[in-house]
Amino acid sequence: MKISLKVNGKKYTREVETNKNLLHFIREDLGLTGTKEGCGAGECGACTIIMNGKTVNSCLILAVEANGCEIETIEGEAKNGKLSKLQKAFHENHAVQCGFCTPGMILSARALLEKNAKPTVEQIKEAIEGNFCRCTGYQQIIEAVQDASGQLKKKEGLKRA
Amino acid sequence: MLQEFSYLAPTTLKDLYALLKKNAGTAVILAGGTDLLVEMHNNWISPKLLVDIKKIPQLNDMSFDRKNGLSIGATTVCIDLINNSDVKKYYPLLADAAGRIGSHQLRNRATIGGNLCTASPCADMGCSLLALGAEVELASADGIRVIPLKDYFTGPKKTQIKKHEVLQKIIVPFESANAKFGMRKLKRIKGHDIALISVAMARTEKFLRVGVGSCAPTPVVTAPLPANAKPEKVKEAVMKVVSPIDDVRASRDYRLFMTGEFVDSIYAEIFNGGSK
Ligand SMILES: Cc1cc2nc3c(=O)[nH]c(=O)nc-3n(C[C@H](O)[C@H](O)[C@H](O)COP(=O)(O)OP(=O)(O)OC[C@H]3O[C@@H](n4cnc5c(N)ncnc54)[C@H](O)[C@@H]3O)c2cc1C
Ligand code: FES
Ligand code: FES
Repeated sequence: MKISLKVNGKKYTREVETNKNLLHFIREDLGLTGTKEGCGAGECGACTIIMNGKTVNSCLILAVEANGCEIETIEGEAKNGKLSKLQKAFHENHAVQCGFCTPGMILSARALLEKNAKPTVEQIKEAIEGNFCRCTGYQQIIEAVQDASGQLKKKEGLKRA
Repeated sequence: MLQEFSYLAPTTLKDLYALLKKNAGTAVILAGGTDLLVEMHNNWISPKLLVDIKKIPQLNDMSFDRKNGLSIGATTVCIDLINNSDVKKYYPLLADAAGRIGSHQLRNRATIGGNLCTASPCADMGCSLLALGAEVELASADGIRVIPLKDYFTGPKKTQIKKHEVLQKIIVPFESANAKFGMRKLKRIKGHDIALISVAMARTEKFLRVGVGSCAPTPVVTAPLPANAKPEKVKEAVMKVVSPIDDVRASRDYRLFMTGEFVDSIYAEIFNGGSK
């Protein structure tokens, strides 16, 4: 089936098999491998993308369902080779270890900050409920989101940069 | 890659009915896909034909009036239910229940119709809609029928839906509007997890009803009790409809105990001025 969609502002038209999920389409057909596959079944959030303004698990959507949609992936986060505020905060607060969860984490965090510029720690935890991290223990991720929203005092946390 | 299948996305109800009639038994409806794609990913099912119903505008409609109450189109996603102003104002229990489903990513995609059609005993919309006395509208080329939600569930993952039917909308009566309510969901972890048990209570000026999930082969509900029923009577009515089992997630005794605890605590909350 032929589908047309916008990814990070760029229009793509492609022929795609009906049995390919959106995650594999983004990674294999579009070559945007920032979006990761963890569980493939809606549990881990590694495949999180933003579709028509909402975060979704791209492993639970067929590519054909995305026909006509606007999608944002982690590749759209940095602008003109410059890291976004969130990416910088993740980097500086050691919120990235293996990095597998990071693309999904950042998109969930972005969805939060777009609605709520100064989230509490509880609200940050709730926002990343659908994103598993097997390395950091979450603390640095929470601090990174606090930092990106201008709420982390300099001496707090693990900030070293 | 998933197994091979054909994909169709009709844009009118008429086309959908015709498709389902012609392919009864092979066609499988695709709504949010958060249950279906997991089952396909795990090779539990391999449908030959997926019929995506999200392109049909009538199925995504929500409306409210004082005669008919609230009508929720089957493909309404959790987050749209949560943010709907009529739901917030008249049926906040539904927003509370939908907010307990999965994670943000899930709630942005999972439909209310899909939740009722998967018909898992632990489906979160089940007990809240039952407590509010909801009905479901099932439709096909043969016509439309409306049945009470309490008769719709027939067993674990089993419902009255026929192979060529679609669940079109969910109707919540006006008499349940502004009900005082409370809900509890017991989980193993604080993050996203399915319910070990869930209890929802709704009380209007005329009646009180309790819906319970994960505590019987289907979500269950008490008969409507008088609005001022005593706590012992409410608990008695609840214990009559539940029949939990021991499984890997919790024992029968623990489920019964926590159901009782939740009934007590919600009752206290509701009778102390409501939980809005
Ligand atoms: C990680 C994860 C966590 C979850 N957590 C929860 C939770 O906390 N609580 C909870 O209740 N559920 C949970 N679920 C289950 C699921 O998200 C919900 O049941 C959801 O509401 C299903 O809706 P859907 O639109 O995605 O359904 P789909 O997957 O599209 O469909 C589900 C089934 O219903 C049928 N169907 C769908 N719509 C119709 C219709 N209108 N008419 C006839 N048949 C139809 C389909 O053919 C399919 O068999 C979770 C799922 C995952 C993957
Ligand atoms: S890969 Fe999609 S949620 Fe895990
Ligand atoms: S950094 Fe490794 S999973 Fe989060």
